[in-house]
Amino acid sequence: MNTTQSTWRFAIVVTVLLLAGTGIATAHEAKCPYCELEVVQDTPEQDNETAIEYGKKRIEYRCVFCALSDAEKSYTGDLTVLAPSEIKGKPVLIVRTGGAWSAPDSTVFVGKKVKHRHCQTGYRAFTTKAAFERHVSENKAILKDAKPITLDEMVKIAKADIGKKK
Amino acid sequence: MKRVSLVCCLALGAAFPPPCFGQAEMHSRMAAVAHPESLPPLPNSLPNWLYGRKKNHIFYKRGPYNFDLYNIDRLARDMNAVAVGHAMAYEALVTGKADSLETQIFERIHWVLEHPPRLMPDEASISPTFGRTYGVLEEVFDWTHILHAQTMDVLASTDLSDSEKDQEIEALWRYYTESVPYAITPLPMSMVFLDGQPYSMAFRDKYPKVNGLFWGYHWLQGAVYDGLYVKSLRQQKMVYDVLGDRYHATELYRTDRPFMPMFAEVSPRFSLKFPHIANAFDNLHMLHDMVNDILASDWIPTAEKERQILRAIWLVSAEAHRGEEPGQSRGDDGMHDHRHMLGMPAMGMMKFATEEIMYMDKMGWMSMADCHHCSMPLPEGADAWKAPTVSAEGWTMRARCPLCARDMAAETRGRAIFHIPTEDAFKPLVVISDDQGNLTTDRPDAVFLEQEGGHETCQKWSSAFSSRAAFDAHVAARPEFKNARPVPFQEWADLRGKKPNTYVKPEGPEGNPYDKHDEDTDEDEVDE
Repeated sequence: MNTTQSTWRFAIVVTVLLLAGTGIATAHEAKCPYCELEVVQDTPEQDNETAIEYGKKRIEYRCVFCALSDAEKSYTGDLTVLAPSEIKGKPVLIVRTGGAWSAPDSTVFVGKKVKHRHCQTGYRAFTTKAAFERHVSENKAILKDAKPITLDEMVKIAKADIGKKK
Repeated sequence: MKRVSLVCCLALGAAFPPPCFGQAEMHSRMAAVAHPESLPPLPNSLPNWLYGRKKNHIFYKRGPYNFDLYNIDRLARDMNAVAVGHAMAYEALVTGKADSLETQIFERIHWVLEHPPRLMPDEASISPTFGRTYGVLEEVFDWTHILHAQTMDVLASTDLSDSEKDQEIEALWRYYTESVPYAITPLPMSMVFLDGQPYSMAFRDKYPKVNGLFWGYHWLQGAVYDGLYVKSLRQQKMVYDVLGDRYHATELYRTDRPFMPMFAEVSPRFSLKFPHIANAFDNLHMLHDMVNDILASDWIPTAEKERQILRAIWLVSAEAHRGEEPGQSRGDDGMHDHRHMLGMPAMGMMKFATEEIMYMDKMGWMSMADCHHCSMPLPEGADAWKAPTVSAEGWTMRARCPLCARDMAAETRGRAIFHIPTEDAFKPLVVISDDQGNLTTDRPDAVFLEQEGGHETCQKWSSAFSSRAAFDAHVAARPEFKNARPVPFQEWADLRGKKPNTYVKPEGPEGNPYDKHDEDTDEDEVDE
């Protein structure tokens, strides 16, 4: 490709960015390292991106289940999982210190076994049980009669998934 | 989704053309029942050398650099083990031992990989039956393996300067193409065509573990070039500490690759400088896959296997494509489709790709002409060397600026290697990230210009310099940076840039073509 083509391509990129406005993603969007599906991006109303903070690294995941499974499989040492909650901009911080997991006391999870294409709905963290119930009622087709589970239970099912075919 | 795709099309400078040429044919072939009548015939009037039965023992071009790969002893030994593994597998395939490939043979190969030989073995002594049966094929393999070994020796030499290495690599290429007729074409080939034969995928489906080893070898044979290219011996050893660990821990044992590792996916800098060599290596690796698939296809009679192997050699031979040019395509069967990805003349047309974007393992849809972190165009032509690269999780990507490379690595699991050019093309900065993102370098006196702004101009406001003096000279010549201060390495290593304002997610014409999740039926969409 010659310089003229490159200049044109550059001009088109800039023009499209200016014209397209808010519809364009503004973040580098990676694939989930655990389930290898796209990471569902945050929307103005709801956070969806889960992340692991490990030292200076921040790795994005598709759901809290993927992050917890990969934390057990691929990382040693202390880390923090930032799980999107029902409150925009306020993730639930799930911390692993010395191998022990902890999260704020009122945290509950939905942990319904689903295909990974639905994992961002089937596995989520909530700051209250009421928020959990709202999520279940809004996603009845997938979650049906899901019951709230604790962090310990969530970690247990995440660990059990390691090594299984996705 | 559609809107983003359209934006991406426009951003990439063109609406999507139809999916890669020959794709529909490939799918229909793969769906067809395997039957000897479905095999393509041998072309008419093949050259006599293809039918040769005499042994032509050919050896290295003379040079003071020969065997300098042993300067990096661990790498040299790993390469020796690759040769043993290939030969053991081929011998098993032609001596009726294919049934033990995934068990006893795999274990034997694995042992060799864990205990690599000190010196390069003579493959003919490990696979004598294979050599007697497919003599010309072995000559073709050997000849390109010699080019491979000698180019690595040149890169590992401590006697040649970087510019002398470039010249010697071109001299080796001439030696390769002019000495004997066994050269592989330097043109980009359509992988859609080569991997769309009636027998394609047979070996991969039948022997996934051994195929994983083969593709692991090919990963190493490709990745090592950027690991060696324009680096001091000390830097090469730093890099191989990371690459070698990755090779032994992960790459050898992967059975989930959607396609064989392509040279430009793992060594984009070398591929841009020497696209003819990168293409020849990819085409050789594809020939390996085609031969594996033919030998693993029980439905092909033995005599027909020999004919199909001759045809496969012909398809990728330099002679079959003489006079053709990169970027051109003629005919309608795909054999002479030499188009390549925009921004990467060493990447032929891939399955499901357009010339603008392709699907890359672990990265998804991507453009080889744009930075994967900020989506802005990468430098090209004489400026191509100015793009940093970041290697992590098995891939190597070019980035537009040091900040893009650093932040891309910070968003990726595991250790990473950065190659960051400075003001001097031959004085790059090699940076290693540990798995927690802590950075170290062999040039701690390096300084950075980082005056973060929009990524439309990130190649200007983010740069690395080999010394404070070089930084001062750069800034003095550019009034827009008159207030910039030199950022020391450790401070730079702790920075984190904002999310690029220019990022546009590439979307392909067919979603994720290799996504196994899409094979689920509606009935099992939600598991109880």
